[in-house]
Amino acid sequence: MTTIAADADHAHHDDHADHKPGFFVRWFMSTNHKDIGTLYLIFAICAGIIGSALSGLMRLELAQEGIQYLPHWAAMLGGEETDTAGKHFWNVMITAHGLIMVFFMVMPAIIGGFGNWFVPIMIGAPDMAFPRMNNISFWLTFVAFFMLFGSMFVSGGSGLGAGTGWTVYAPLSTSGSTGPAVDMVIFSLHMAGAASILGAINFITTIFNMRAPGMTLHKMPLFVWSVLVTAFLLLLSLPVLAAAITMLLTDRNFGTAFYDAAGGGDPVLYQHLFWFFGHPEVYIMILPGFGIVSQVVSTFSKKPVFGYLGMAYAMVAIGVVGFIVWAHHMFTVGMRVDLKMYFTAATMVIAVPTGIKIFSWLATMWGGSLSFKTPMLWALGFIFMFTVGGVTGVVLANGGVDQNLHDTYYVVAHFHYVLSLGAVFALFAGFYYWIPKMSGRMYSEWMGQLHFWTFFIGVNIVFFPQHFLGQQGMPRRYPDYAHAFEYWHHISSLGYLVVMVGLLFFFANVFYTLFAGKKVGANPWGEGATTLEWTLSSPPPYHQFNELPRIA
Amino acid sequence: MQLIARGKNRTAMLAALLALGMVALGFAAVPLYRLFCRVTGFAGTTMRVSEETASAVPVIDNQTISVRFDSNTAPGLGWTFRPERPRDTLSIGQRDMMIFVARNLTDRTVTATATFNVTPSQAGPYFAKVQCFCFTEQTLAPGEEIRMPVVYYVDPKILEDPDARDVREITLSYTFFPVDEAATGG
Amino acid sequence: MAGIYRILIAFLMALTPLTLGSVAVSAATNAAAPVVTAATTPTPAAAPATPATTSADDAATPAADAAAAPAFEYARPVPGIGQPVVGGMDFQPQVTENGRFAHFLNNAILLPLSVVICLLVLGLTLWVSVRYRAAANPNPSKTSHNTLIEVIWTGIPILILVGVAVPSIDLLARQYAPPPANALTVKVTGYQWYWGYAYPDNGIDEYVSNMLDEQTAAARGEPYHLGADNRMVVPVGRTVKVIVTAADVIHSFSVPALWVKMDAVPGRLNEVTFRADRVGVYYGQCSELCGVNHGYMPIAVEVVTPERFAQWVASKGGHMTAPAAPAASPATAAATATPTATPAAAPAAVPTPSPSAGATPAAAAPAQ
Repeated sequence: MTTIAADADHAHHDDHADHKPGFFVRWFMSTNHKDIGTLYLIFAICAGIIGSALSGLMRLELAQEGIQYLPHWAAMLGGEETDTAGKHFWNVMITAHGLIMVFFMVMPAIIGGFGNWFVPIMIGAPDMAFPRMNNISFWLTFVAFFMLFGSMFVSGGSGLGAGTGWTVYAPLSTSGSTGPAVDMVIFSLHMAGAASILGAINFITTIFNMRAPGMTLHKMPLFVWSVLVTAFLLLLSLPVLAAAITMLLTDRNFGTAFYDAAGGGDPVLYQHLFWFFGHPEVYIMILPGFGIVSQVVSTFSKKPVFGYLGMAYAMVAIGVVGFIVWAHHMFTVGMRVDLKMYFTAATMVIAVPTGIKIFSWLATMWGGSLSFKTPMLWALGFIFMFTVGGVTGVVLANGGVDQNLHDTYYVVAHFHYVLSLGAVFALFAGFYYWIPKMSGRMYSEWMGQLHFWTFFIGVNIVFFPQHFLGQQGMPRRYPDYAHAFEYWHHISSLGYLVVMVGLLFFFANVFYTLFAGKKVGANPWGEGATTLEWTLSSPPPYHQFNELPRIA
Repeated sequence: MQLIARGKNRTAMLAALLALGMVALGFAAVPLYRLFCRVTGFAGTTMRVSEETASAVPVIDNQTISVRFDSNTAPGLGWTFRPERPRDTLSIGQRDMMIFVARNLTDRTVTATATFNVTPSQAGPYFAKVQCFCFTEQTLAPGEEIRMPVVYYVDPKILEDPDARDVREITLSYTFFPVDEAATGG
Repeated sequence: MAGIYRILIAFLMALTPLTLGSVAVSAATNAAAPVVTAATTPTPAAAPATPATTSADDAATPAADAAAAPAFEYARPVPGIGQPVVGGMDFQPQVTENGRFAHFLNNAILLPLSVVICLLVLGLTLWVSVRYRAAANPNPSKTSHNTLIEVIWTGIPILILVGVAVPSIDLLARQYAPPPANALTVKVTGYQWYWGYAYPDNGIDEYVSNMLDEQTAAARGEPYHLGADNRMVVPVGRTVKVIVTAADVIHSFSVPALWVKMDAVPGRLNEVTFRADRVGVYYGQCSELCGVNHGYMPIAVEVVTPERFAQWVASKGGHMTAPAAPAASPATAAATATPTATPAAAPAAVPTPSPSAGATPAAAAPAQ
């Protein structure tokens, strides 16, 4: 990372030999990492629209006490217009919102999109190691999404769709939900999981085998490091989820009793397996964000990242420790005291490498020459908001305090601070940072800045009051609530309107960029942008690095 | 180029093996978890001991502990099921017997089996059962009543465990589930 | 070490109401000493309609002779105690010693620490942004290492976390302290979608608790969504051991004002303890997604004076002497253990959650 200077001669000379296949072959049978990355990004934006539309519906319903719209919405989707169908639809929405945002928005965008686009370029490789497998990964994700979406229109017991929560806890997901909806969700997770595992193998192979000469592991940009650690987390955690939900499926359909107390199984075992996957999963979503923020902060400070090795190994440490803290998601399940003490202490340990990252970003800026372009704003927003989400994480790590806050809105606020204001901020940072590279056109700076400020204010209005709701005792996953909770819920819902305005600026900016954005050269960001993608034209040639760059 | 291809395949194979290994580990978690609970008394799993082991246990006369008995039946089982007394007080190490009475209220023969655990869960390793109806399935004809003994003792080693030695009362809980209807959902 | 530490904590706790400036309600209850304050006196005249409704619901429960028992009237809840308040930001006022300690841990240690860390990061970000903006500092430095500072920002968080971990572990130890021998045991069972309560030592068989509908809640002066037709009643100042299980899917028994939350897992028993030192009505709600009516199975705990508890036990047809028969004399408690004569052959159909559904769970109850 310290001294990457590509040999420009090698990097540029392949422009003229740029054969692109026809439309169908290019986009539907794509083997080009940039095209697949683009597909992932388009897909993630579409899934994100659906996911945030769901959250909009939820905020609308929660804006005032009482059930206002749920039965109508259930009826609009083809269900009955009853109170029960409406309440079931609520559970379907929380389930779908969670799964879509995790598996079909954040992961495809940050790993499939930016990872595919920039990992090969940043290490000086012509493409991913296994281009066809890359294509399979994308289309598996695509089909998985439609499987999940389709589950909302088939029976899930009390109404249409799976109302189990994204955690799909047994026995609610087994004996508690009849109908094919939950099976479809499980299949969808299988496919999305398989896609991610294939993707992880692809990234690991690419990074280990296809680095350009001179690109040692310790010279790789931090974004590549973050994707490498993420790929290992995927590889080690997703198979466990696959096993767990396969057993869920056989419990549902083939009479096994892995999680059924009646047959000698244990529903708590499912929770252990789920969270053994689920906790690394949250780092899977945030680590590539760390990588993006490192690139952006370094670029716009015109300084190399401070403490590069510390940054890289902090991510490795977070990944490793992330595997041994899972039961803090299950503090109220009936756990013996010594175990709870261990998980409390182990969870707090994660604050140390996270703190190293936060302080290193600040130190990167220290002494730099800072310009506040849109990507930098998002990165700064990320650093602050992730800190807020991090400190509430330390609160929740306390098994004793969690005895009150567990499954309340405090938890909802916490994980939205690290995801909706953490991972998503990193996504926007990456989008504005790389869109000139990907499209060859510059976004509108004023729209980008407006997008940032409206979105920043909006999400804080949405989520900050939820801490208060949680401390007051408002439980998660409730379609309706006692009158006293209405005050903050109402404010939270108003915040969503501000977020919507922010998103309008985003979409307007996307269209402006693609159709009217100013053309840019290889490196619009100047001397701070030192990674290899800025040595290529914008957009990069269809095939880059036919002759590998040499890293000094 | 060939060298890179070979390296790629090797890395990919290793990664794929790692993933497969984790799948296997996911499934293996089921028996491992069960074994782990049985061996360590994790999650309030009680210990099952033989007659020989049990007879060698010293009785500590001046230390008593009370044992509460809790009984549950799965919805739809159609049995009544309860202990003869809600609790017993006994010396640590002393062997005690509690009779649980189950009765089939339905007009069909029902087979059921019981799950069990103790709370607080740190007492699990020290709650030893010599004889228990939960080790076997129970079948009751319509209207039939059965008296089922549990023979148990509290292991004196509990006094050496800083997490468990202050426990004054252990609750032993059973839940009867119908055997045939283990498969649900779908 | 531990002794000094406890004294320090006690000292800090005494300061809490002064230093926190949290919502006024919380300051009121934080008056540290665990004195039995009879803040909520039962108001018999207040709700004339209430007892009638209650006994009508009760008529269907196994304790059919309860109608003849002495009457017991639930106390009215006090706004701001045991329930959320409009615009409230802090935790609900805590009425247990452990709850106050946990509340203190959050408000006096974790929260200030969080605020300081956030302000530090925000302050540094803003300062760096102004000081090192391109206009002010056109030539960036090339510094990218400083071993000393990296050691410092690894070491100091570790020290802080160790400092935080000590009271955190202490809190866990307190919450898990084994209950004393005289603890009252209450059996709580989660159903889709209501709660069942039983008092095995008092001979009170399971009775069920459904959410009040809007009109009834209003008539009784209880918050809609939180009020329940039958409450869990426990005496003040005595440790209560709640043993929790579930009949169908996982539920979670949760009462914020008591700092208690424990999952109800089918086929498995969990236990959690609390000792309330203030009479009153404390509400909670199911806290694990359990299906369609997850949001409609509240928990209402009424903490009463020992005399009122005896009254309530009598009204339920129970007895106050715990039948803690030694192993030698099995006969004493036999009578109470007999299941009620009604052979509820009806397979436990899933009851609708309306308050009128009291009859259905009762049919399943003898299976207890």
